[in-house]
Amino acid sequence: MAMTTATAISVQRRPHWWQQRTLSRFLRHRLALIGLIVIVTLTLACVFGPYLLPHDELTVDLRARFSPPLTDDFYLGTDPLGRDITSRLLMAGRISLLVGFSVMLISTAFGTLIGVIAGYFRGWTGVVLMRIVDAFLAFPSIFLVLVLSAFVKPSPFMITVIIALTCWMEIARIVEAEIRSLRERDFTVAARLAGASARWIMFRELVPNAMGPIIVAATLTIANAILLEAYISFLGYGIQPPLPSWGNMLNSAQQYLTNAPWLAIVPGITITLAVTSFNFIGDGLRDALDSRSDLQ
Amino acid sequence: MGRYLIGRLGQSVVVLFLVSLIGFMILNLAPGGPLSQFALTPGMSQADIQRLAVQMGLDRPLIVQYIDWLGRLLRGDWGESFRDGRPVLAIIVEHLWATLLLMGTSMAISIVVGTLVGIAGAIRRYSIFDYLATVGAMVALSIPTFWFGLVAIYLFALKLAWLPAGNMITIGDGSVLDYLHHLVMPALVLALVNVAIWSRYMRSSTLDVLHQDFVRTARAKGLPRYRVLVHHIVRNALLPMITLGGLQLPTILGGALVAETVFTWPGMGRLFLDSIGYSDYPVVMGILMLSAIFVLLGNLLADLLVALADPRVRLA
Amino acid sequence: MNDNDNPIDKPFLAHPNRRQFLGMAAVGSAGLLLPWSLARQALAADVGAPAGRVTIGFSQEPTVFNPLMPHIEVDDGIHWNVFDPLFFADPQGDFVPALAMEVPTVANGGISQDGLKWHIKLREGVTWHDGTPFTAEDVAFTFRLTVDPDFRSSRHAGFDLVQNIEVISPTELRWEMSKSYAPFSSILATTFIVPKHLLSDDPNQAPFNNAPVGTGAFKWKERVAGDHILLEANSDYFAGPAGIEEVVFRYIPDLTVLYTQFKTSDIDVIAMQGIMPDHYQEAKGLSGKTVVVVPSSSVESIAFNMERPQFKDPIVRQALYLALDKGTILDALYYGLPTPTETYMPHESPYYNADLPQHRYDIDAAKKLLDDAGWKPGGDGIREKDGVRLSFTNSTTSGNQVREQMQQFVQQSWQELGVDMQISNRPPAVMWGDYWMQSQFDSVVVGINFLTGSDPDVSNYFRSDSIPAQNGGGQNTFQYKNADVDRLLAEGASEQDPAKRQPIYHRIQATIREDLPMLPLFQYAYVRGYKTGLEGYEGNINTRITTWNVRQWHWA
Repeated sequence: MAMTTATAISVQRRPHWWQQRTLSRFLRHRLALIGLIVIVTLTLACVFGPYLLPHDELTVDLRARFSPPLTDDFYLGTDPLGRDITSRLLMAGRISLLVGFSVMLISTAFGTLIGVIAGYFRGWTGVVLMRIVDAFLAFPSIFLVLVLSAFVKPSPFMITVIIALTCWMEIARIVEAEIRSLRERDFTVAARLAGASARWIMFRELVPNAMGPIIVAATLTIANAILLEAYISFLGYGIQPPLPSWGNMLNSAQQYLTNAPWLAIVPGITITLAVTSFNFIGDGLRDALDSRSDLQ
Repeated sequence: MGRYLIGRLGQSVVVLFLVSLIGFMILNLAPGGPLSQFALTPGMSQADIQRLAVQMGLDRPLIVQYIDWLGRLLRGDWGESFRDGRPVLAIIVEHLWATLLLMGTSMAISIVVGTLVGIAGAIRRYSIFDYLATVGAMVALSIPTFWFGLVAIYLFALKLAWLPAGNMITIGDGSVLDYLHHLVMPALVLALVNVAIWSRYMRSSTLDVLHQDFVRTARAKGLPRYRVLVHHIVRNALLPMITLGGLQLPTILGGALVAETVFTWPGMGRLFLDSIGYSDYPVVMGILMLSAIFVLLGNLLADLLVALADPRVRLA
Repeated sequence: MNDNDNPIDKPFLAHPNRRQFLGMAAVGSAGLLLPWSLARQALAADVGAPAGRVTIGFSQEPTVFNPLMPHIEVDDGIHWNVFDPLFFADPQGDFVPALAMEVPTVANGGISQDGLKWHIKLREGVTWHDGTPFTAEDVAFTFRLTVDPDFRSSRHAGFDLVQNIEVISPTELRWEMSKSYAPFSSILATTFIVPKHLLSDDPNQAPFNNAPVGTGAFKWKERVAGDHILLEANSDYFAGPAGIEEVVFRYIPDLTVLYTQFKTSDIDVIAMQGIMPDHYQEAKGLSGKTVVVVPSSSVESIAFNMERPQFKDPIVRQALYLALDKGTILDALYYGLPTPTETYMPHESPYYNADLPQHRYDIDAAKKLLDDAGWKPGGDGIREKDGVRLSFTNSTTSGNQVREQMQQFVQQSWQELGVDMQISNRPPAVMWGDYWMQSQFDSVVVGINFLTGSDPDVSNYFRSDSIPAQNGGGQNTFQYKNADVDRLLAEGASEQDPAKRQPIYHRIQATIREDLPMLPLFQYAYVRGYKTGLEGYEGNINTRITTWNVRQWHWA
């Protein structure tokens, strides 16, 4: 392989996500921008909203059960125990968003680490790591979720861990494929010839260049995690009462679909809104990090 | 290439072995077990439950149980269900075909619709249609299936009475028309999500192809638009879809768990969930092994296809 | 597994009670001897040739068709229609002969005075569905198979006392018991007789187990696993053919969907787990459907693990009971459907003690009780005494919506008392495994049918040598120990005379009400429904399932 110059290296690199063009491309992606605004608003509402509401999320009042939306100051109505749905929705958002973010952080960090190492060291290390990834992928996620949740007392923390356990493999595979292709590029070869350590090459050269797909996968993981939490609640293994989560709110509402439809509609729309927004952000990032989209 | 393939297959066998070992252990170590369902049965006591555990061999050391199970598996004996005592393989095959019918139909719908929507979206990028398709796909991806399924039943079975609320056939009927009648709602509800996935992938794949030299050449040669579209763009854009299809194959085994529950469809997903719920270890292990084989083959296939498509990725 | 769905049902329409319980003391434990015509009426529909089909919805899938093997209540729904017991308990609690000519009692000489010798005559001319004649050999085989060490039998209780079975003729047999054991009649009333000729070699793996052959009113036709089971009328049924030609049992796992399919008439009868209380009002207004409330002998309670330091002090248990707003729970969450109770004994039972102290809700009295006993609120408002904080977990099967609502309501009531209860629910397989059996819980919400059939014996749940966590063989997971109760239980089980048994079981109930190893909440009542026009539907509190008498159903 021919010797490469410093200029050649920068040409080969993908644009960083913080680079001007990337940012402007993202901002031009109107849907992604809307998604970002929705998420920020939702997060702020969940963090500060509960302090502004007249009712807290745990007070049971059986006289007020099944109040439809806009009854007195129950803006979104009450649930079967007469608790205020608005404040439950926002408190639930704290848990669901936190679970989503934490799953994203844990699984992205772990998946990236495994993927980078496996992609860079191609001998037995890579083989063994990737076969471990395969082994995890071979377990249907429903199996892992159900069987593992039998071992632990369900809490937001344990549910985060269990969901993260089922999410990191995708990221590891994406990163490994990316690194495998990047490590043959000229700038990596140059760095190696210049005597850089493996760690330096992996985390200073390769990871930043693989950042695009990682960020995209990460946003999609949040969306996935929020849905998985709802899904686990559907199966009865979710966050324990009286703590609300979007998933268990939606789940406990299904039997009231005909007589108290707002119980299902409110969390259903919120989940859809949040997940859609994360997906839009992911989509926007994908376009923004893809320089080809300028060609149009 | 041949050596790589043999190597990978060898590794897959090792992975399969590990999956079976880990799966067996965590399944058996999990609290509960196949006898806990009898806890509150009138007349049954702890003494009966202990005796049954001995009779079923559940009191043996776990590793002995595992070796016994593995030995039988290697001789082609998948064991018998703890619930109805029938051979695991027979049970799986029965449920598999119900799932294949449902998943196959919904997959066919979603591939056709998804491909068309994806291509149209890519060709008219940033048009009103593209925006609607994008928003539609994202929303479809984000609606929890069980919620959507219940709403669909409420509308089409209860209010409008157009479609049956669930099940695969009317007993005593079983005609093709009857199957189709029952199939419509679950297949469409399931397809909704898959249309979203396929259309997104098809859109980006078509965009990739759109700007490549051979397309420009074809256009420059003055070939008719639809010819370029069909012969050059669509054909090439479909290639990566094959990989995607391969990767989605294993999900068939897990079945459409939620849709099967909501629509009372006697498929694999439901079987898997019930088997885990009742700790029917032989059936759970059977499904686990089958799905592991599917996943490993799918991954291997995907790696091979990527390598064939992209010569820069060397197979090591 | 689903502790709350033991559908032991009681008829909705109250029948005049033919039993004058105390007056018939001399007759013996087993009820009136029904004349043949009455028995026949209790067994079949008697409306001419079988016609039509009925589709029944179950939320669990029946998978065990050998009635002697371990099974759950939904399997009973099939067994009752394919098989027959020697005799069974009707909704009033009277035994009705089925395969036996008459119910053995001390009075008719079927049981000896000392309760040790039993003698039974069988009905003549009964055949199995495959045409083989049914004989006393089949009964003897069933008895032996139940305790065969190689056979995966569901229970040994009672049958392990049987010895010297003697087949006198094809329609007559006798046996001895190693000790007098009154509950055995109730056990026989829920034991189905299986054919010897199909189960002689390897009964664990016999083809019979998936294609059962019985003597019952319906024959096995087909099963599509995960979907449905189809039975057809047995035209040779000894009591005359059933009123329905085909019976379909559909498996519909989701309760909301089950109810929806009832509304759309995809199913004719909504069996277990029925209609949720929240839908009762709406269901009553459905046109073309008949909705009934059927009581069950399951009792809902908050049970304690008595070995936990928090619950050792009886004052704590009493205070928690006082601070339980039972009335509101029943009225608001359960729409007043179940019956509040003070005991584990179903109210319909002749052994029910109606004179127990009535519960009242009085949180101030509860506070005072704890204050006086030295349970003082700590810094965080939680009461404590001698280093023991009144903080504990409460568990039940996850996914039971109404019960989870109740837990949260109780949690708030008790918090007011200075008691911290955390909810920690588990999936059924985990909940009722070692967690329950080995008393690893602090407290649970559980619905238990404490009786086996109609017999009042509860040794399995309350005797001190029935504690699994202390190497006992029963199911006393409360770890409840009371020497008086132990003695009374032993006395009650060996006494054959119901008049003498009654005061014993009254005292047991009074003692348990005082000790409160569990806070009794209510006796279950289930909301069930069927398509209007179906006749003969009747609950039976002495069976576990509402599909026990499909043979008597018919379309109007």
